[in-house]
Amino acid sequence: MKVITGIPVLDDVIEEIPEGKILTYWIDPEVEGNVFAMQTLFTNLERGCKCAYTTIAYSPEVAIGEFNEFGWDVENYENFGIVDLYSGYVGLPSNCQYNASPTDIEEVNEVMKKVIENFDVVVIPVSSVIDVCGEDSIECIGEWYDFAREKESRLICTFVSWPYPEEIEKFVKNNSNAVIRVGGVHHRVILGYYYGVVKVDWKNIKSKAILFKLVKPGGVRAYIPKILVTGPYNAGKSTFVHAVSMRAISVDRLGTTVALDHGHLEYKGFSIDLFGTPGQERFDPILKMLGREALGVILVVDSTKPETFPRAKQMLEAVAHFGLPYVVAANKQDLPDALPPEEIRKKMFLPEDVPIIPVSAKEGDGVYKVIDALLELLTGSWWVKENEPEVST
Amino acid sequence: MSLRSQLEDILKEMKSTGDVEASAIVSRDGLLIAADISSSVNADAFAAMSATMLGAAETAMSELGKGTPDRVVVESPSGKIVAMGAGEKALLVVMTTPKANLGLILLQLGKASKKIEELLG
Repeated sequence: MKVITGIPVLDDVIEEIPEGKILTYWIDPEVEGNVFAMQTLFTNLERGCKCAYTTIAYSPEVAIGEFNEFGWDVENYENFGIVDLYSGYVGLPSNCQYNASPTDIEEVNEVMKKVIENFDVVVIPVSSVIDVCGEDSIECIGEWYDFAREKESRLICTFVSWPYPEEIEKFVKNNSNAVIRVGGVHHRVILGYYYGVVKVDWKNIKSKAILFKLVKPGGVRAYIPKILVTGPYNAGKSTFVHAVSMRAISVDRLGTTVALDHGHLEYKGFSIDLFGTPGQERFDPILKMLGREALGVILVVDSTKPETFPRAKQMLEAVAHFGLPYVVAANKQDLPDALPPEEIRKKMFLPEDVPIIPVSAKEGDGVYKVIDALLELLTGSWWVKENEPEVST
Repeated sequence: MSLRSQLEDILKEMKSTGDVEASAIVSRDGLLIAADISSSVNADAFAAMSATMLGAAETAMSELGKGTPDRVVVESPSGKIVAMGAGEKALLVVMTTPKANLGLILLQLGKASKKIEELLG
């Protein structure tokens, strides 16, 4: 039977998890990434596969409770199994068919192999096993990988990327057939999450990253992030939206935006919707409406008009008061009297860490650097740098 | 007779239709050209949002391949707003009581918008 991840978009990209493959969800510590493994398990459980869930850091009851929180009634499925490595650890009797005390690594090894042999899909919290059983347990984990390949089972592993020794990280990465990174989109606080395909060895795929929200009940839901493009009158917001988008429409009359610009962009694996606001004061009621649910802000300023900078800041305050990350596009750099970015920073009294990118939206110069800077703020530099070559316009 | 008073006459005529509480002639980019609005309403914001409404509706419609809409009618329990293009540069918008006779209003609005178009060229 075909096994899938059950994760939106990811299944379109990788299609299925073939027999004998190991898929690792590589999870940033601040992210609730375990739900990915749980969703994969429940999806396949519903499809009739025999699925086992390994719990080591908390009791089987708590684990089932977590499934239930997302609306997944695993306990009602006969094809569901739980591997209890917790009870033995805290000295309680286990009422699960498959259980072992993690203090006895041989016993764990034996039980895990039995489970791998008997189930189609086995979820293993690899980093938790290392936490509880020590670094040496990595050898054991390696044996499970090999055994799963031999028995044509599939392992769904979670690896929470605390600063483990590099050898361990390498071992896990190299031994996984697929690595899906789950990270946070943060700026002071976590605004959202994303997952990206790092590696899949059974399919040739381009990099792909998807933003998601966790919904209870429901699980992982993909969504297209909304980026707001704002700035004073005549700063070049609409031109900017058109310059970076594959397709854009504007509601403009007599040369000025009266409602909004909308553009869509596929860039470095992300799908992004851009919303351009009007710039003139009389349209300010629209600003707040468009700003709702935005994930980041691009502030476009006319670098030749410092007298408009106070208005630019006022607009920024209107849309970014929830602490949204923002970058400044210092537009019209093709004009002779354009101020350089650092001069603009001084005149606007902007913090040192706010990226100010020189652009000419008219010529299309530097516009993708603005998107890069914002994505870096949102997802950390890792993803953006890894995916440097792919630029779609 | 000045252009301004000619435009104001058109608005006065709109009001005499009955049930019209306020009316305005607005440039397509949302600036007030002439208005017959009580001081309790922020005329500038009313003008800007009328341009937003009509502009967004026009773009939505034409993006869907349905051409240009004749008008935008917004209804709430406390009244109606009807906006209609008046040539390339301007639009006409009226605010009515909830029980206003829409047929009559639209007829008058159509006539007025043609006059405005002629006056503003």
